[in-house]
Amino acid sequence: MPQNSDISTRFVFDCPLASGLHARPASHLSEVANQFLSECRLTNLRNGQVANVKSVLAIVAADVRLGDRCELDTSGTDQQIAFDGLRRFIEKDLPRCDVPLAGIAEFTRSTTPPRLLELAKASCIFGTPVSRGLGRGKVVILRRMPLPSSLEAGNGVSPQHELERIQQAIIAVRQRIGEKLKYSLTPTGTAILQADLAMASDVFLVEKLKEQVLRGMSAAQAVVGVGEFFIALLQKSESEYVRQRSSDIEEICLQLLGEVHPSATPVAIVVLHEPSVLVTETLAPQQLLELDRKWVRGLVLEHAAETSHAVLLARSLGIPTLAGVRNGRVVLREGIEVVVDANRGFVVPHSSLEVQRFYDREQKTLERRKAAHSTTAKHLAVTSDGTRIEVAANVAAGEEVTLAFENGADSIGLFRTEMLFLGRDGAPLEEEQYAIYLAAVRAASGRPVIIRTFDVGGDKQVPYLKSASEDNPFLGCRGARLYAEHQDLLQTQLRAILRASVAGPIQVMAPMISSVEEMLEFKSAIEQAKLDLGQKAIPFASDIKIGLMIEVPSLAFLVEQLSAQVDFFSIGTNDLIQYFVAADRTNAAVSSLYSSSHPGFLRFLKQVVGQFRRAGKWIGMCGDMAADPRNLPLLLGLGLDEISVPPSEVHLLKREIGNLRASECISTLDRAISCRTSTEVDELLSARASERMAPLLSEELVLLESTSQTKEEVMQEMVDAFYIAHRTEDRQLFEEALWAREAVYSTGLGYGFATPHCKTDAVASDSICVLRLNEPINWDSVDGEQVRMVVLLALRNSEDGANHMQVFSTLARKLMNDDFRQHLLKFDNAPQVIMFLSEQLGIQR
Amino acid sequence: MRIVAVTACPTGIAHTYMAAARLEKVAKTFGHEIKVETQGAMGIENKLTESDIRQAQIAIFAVDIEVEGKERFHGVKVIQVPLQDALKSPEAIFAKIQR
Repeated sequence: MPQNSDISTRFVFDCPLASGLHARPASHLSEVANQFLSECRLTNLRNGQVANVKSVLAIVAADVRLGDRCELDTSGTDQQIAFDGLRRFIEKDLPRCDVPLAGIAEFTRSTTPPRLLELAKASCIFGTPVSRGLGRGKVVILRRMPLPSSLEAGNGVSPQHELERIQQAIIAVRQRIGEKLKYSLTPTGTAILQADLAMASDVFLVEKLKEQVLRGMSAAQAVVGVGEFFIALLQKSESEYVRQRSSDIEEICLQLLGEVHPSATPVAIVVLHEPSVLVTETLAPQQLLELDRKWVRGLVLEHAAETSHAVLLARSLGIPTLAGVRNGRVVLREGIEVVVDANRGFVVPHSSLEVQRFYDREQKTLERRKAAHSTTAKHLAVTSDGTRIEVAANVAAGEEVTLAFENGADSIGLFRTEMLFLGRDGAPLEEEQYAIYLAAVRAASGRPVIIRTFDVGGDKQVPYLKSASEDNPFLGCRGARLYAEHQDLLQTQLRAILRASVAGPIQVMAPMISSVEEMLEFKSAIEQAKLDLGQKAIPFASDIKIGLMIEVPSLAFLVEQLSAQVDFFSIGTNDLIQYFVAADRTNAAVSSLYSSSHPGFLRFLKQVVGQFRRAGKWIGMCGDMAADPRNLPLLLGLGLDEISVPPSEVHLLKREIGNLRASECISTLDRAISCRTSTEVDELLSARASERMAPLLSEELVLLESTSQTKEEVMQEMVDAFYIAHRTEDRQLFEEALWAREAVYSTGLGYGFATPHCKTDAVASDSICVLRLNEPINWDSVDGEQVRMVVLLALRNSEDGANHMQVFSTLARKLMNDDFRQHLLKFDNAPQVIMFLSEQLGIQR
Repeated sequence: MRIVAVTACPTGIAHTYMAAARLEKVAKTFGHEIKVETQGAMGIENKLTESDIRQAQIAIFAVDIEVEGKERFHGVKVIQVPLQDALKSPEAIFAKIQR
């Protein structure tokens, strides 16, 4: 052993990572160290812990935190090279090793609790809401399985044999993680799996296992013993983060145990008998299905598995679910009562009276919001002058169908089936597809479902279709152009669709058709599928409606020919625009040319829709253009039979349609067509949008019998009123804006009045909300008096608020007037308040 | 007495206008003539002209933020108070002026 006093192989550094040297950066560091023969040691000079740098576990156990001074030294035959390599890594790469794991774009994670819960000192544990809703129940921790505390002593085993078994187990576990890594789609997943991989072959871990086996233990005993040793070691750490990593090592040891001693691996069987909130690391869909659904009130997942099948399943079952709740199993104790608030994104113990009161009120708010919601949802969308338009939903998975109808969709305007083909090794079988289409059509209970046959190619590549690489895939073999080569896949899909059509009105639609020939081929494929089913005496709806997507401009000049062949049409604007203006919308350099407001494109649309309608055909639109409420005047002006949009947009669009007049929409479309530029069209649409903003005053925002007991409750009640009326979707942001203003100084203006106010885009439109308290409360008013009446003013940031600001300033001035205040205090009902304020403030109604 | 005043608050939605209304009302009870400029979310309104300012014996700034166009008041006696004072006790402000 060389005496290691050589200064050149010693190096002192301060840990640059905010979360310290935890598992991920440690796995990178050990990867570097493992390239060398030398011993590499790291000493944490703060606590004296010494770690073998080749072991992730040892590094993690050294508990190196931000700013900790550490010493690194190497000794061995290649000590200088090892030293240089590690030093380079620590200086150059380590600081960048801890890039925050990517969040989920679609679901944002909140980090502040509502004010009332904060005051109640409720400990909210945050996660990403992946299935919305509110659920309450007792915590049931699903441990995949705890390490068995003891195993019978190994007898008569040969240490050599046991050692081999352990080595094989490590290889098998590493392989399994490696497999998962191949299919990891997110940087988050990849980083976590890489750390697991490093841990599974950690030199420290392997050394310990070897040691135990050589002492005469069986492989299984060694795994359990060593697992416990490391769990205890990590749990001794001063850092909570390191303590929590013990579940990672437990997981790895369980996997090893499963290899060396499958029968010792306990299987968790959970029987629920009361409302429960399941807390677990990850969940297999099967596990969820085995549980008694009626007691599952919420799901808390530690992994950020936003697209896992369990999450999709939870969403379809309407189970409020949070993902990415770090250390859920550590922080939430078995048996405690909790609320999963998957609208806001946290789970909170339901312990104190304050939390109970908060959620009793929240329950009522949600019920009222739902009631308001379903009134709109139940009704068909009709303009104020009586023109009807169907509002359908675009879905990509069977689970979304139920959600779409809950949100008020009249039908499914586009069921994208390619999702069934993506992300797997082979095409789905007929039975699998049949089950999915059948479930969808049943969920639709009699309402039409338009199923589009698989649309891959272009930007959606499917490995097992092995299409040759193309220079210009958007102009290449995509959509229906692939069907000739893959007749078998098309036939399988068509048979599944036809079979499901017995259960309800399914319509089938072809993507990316550019000629009549393609349409004829598609139709004969359907005839072929019908023939096959007929021969096997399998029932199907023989009169299934056949349609096509209008995505290629050439179709606009084949109206007569196509109308003779096809029952219905749906405009796919996303592709149609890019082919119309010859600009790839994913190419930033030309994406400004890609606009649904292009006056030429609007003229083209008007012509297309008009011609197909004159030919007596049904025509809808299912692209992004249809989902933007600003475009509604154009869509109604076009005279479409239907628009199909994401389920989340259905409700808003239906409400907006009621605020429009079809006759005005026709002239708006004509004005847009005669605009010179897209910008002019956008300006026109913005102007139209602000004209139909919800009114400043509405009965839903007049609360005359408030039983709130504190300022915080009043604020919450008013924010909730906005939420019920769909004037805010982000209560947290809205509330924070109000309190930010309150922090400057109290808005209690004296005389028993308070005027909280804010400028925020968390509200959908400028609004005035009035609340009268049954019992006056403290508001820290300037005159020290209690508050009886609260007038809240909310102004949007982005709109040109000049008109409304005039009203707000008049209101502010009037509030200084005794008569005005006295009047406002004495009304019996909301309409009286609105009439009085409208008169006083000069608001036209 | 001839008085000019400016009111301004951080959000400029409510208190700027409340304070203006309050100052106008209470000034009258003291027998003063007042013109109040508001600097709120609608920008500057009821703008004080050069002659307004020149003819005034005193200027009151009831503000929580910086006054826009402060240089206009050069040569006039200015008293500045937190906007809240104009809501809470405008009488005290006028009493102070008279002294």
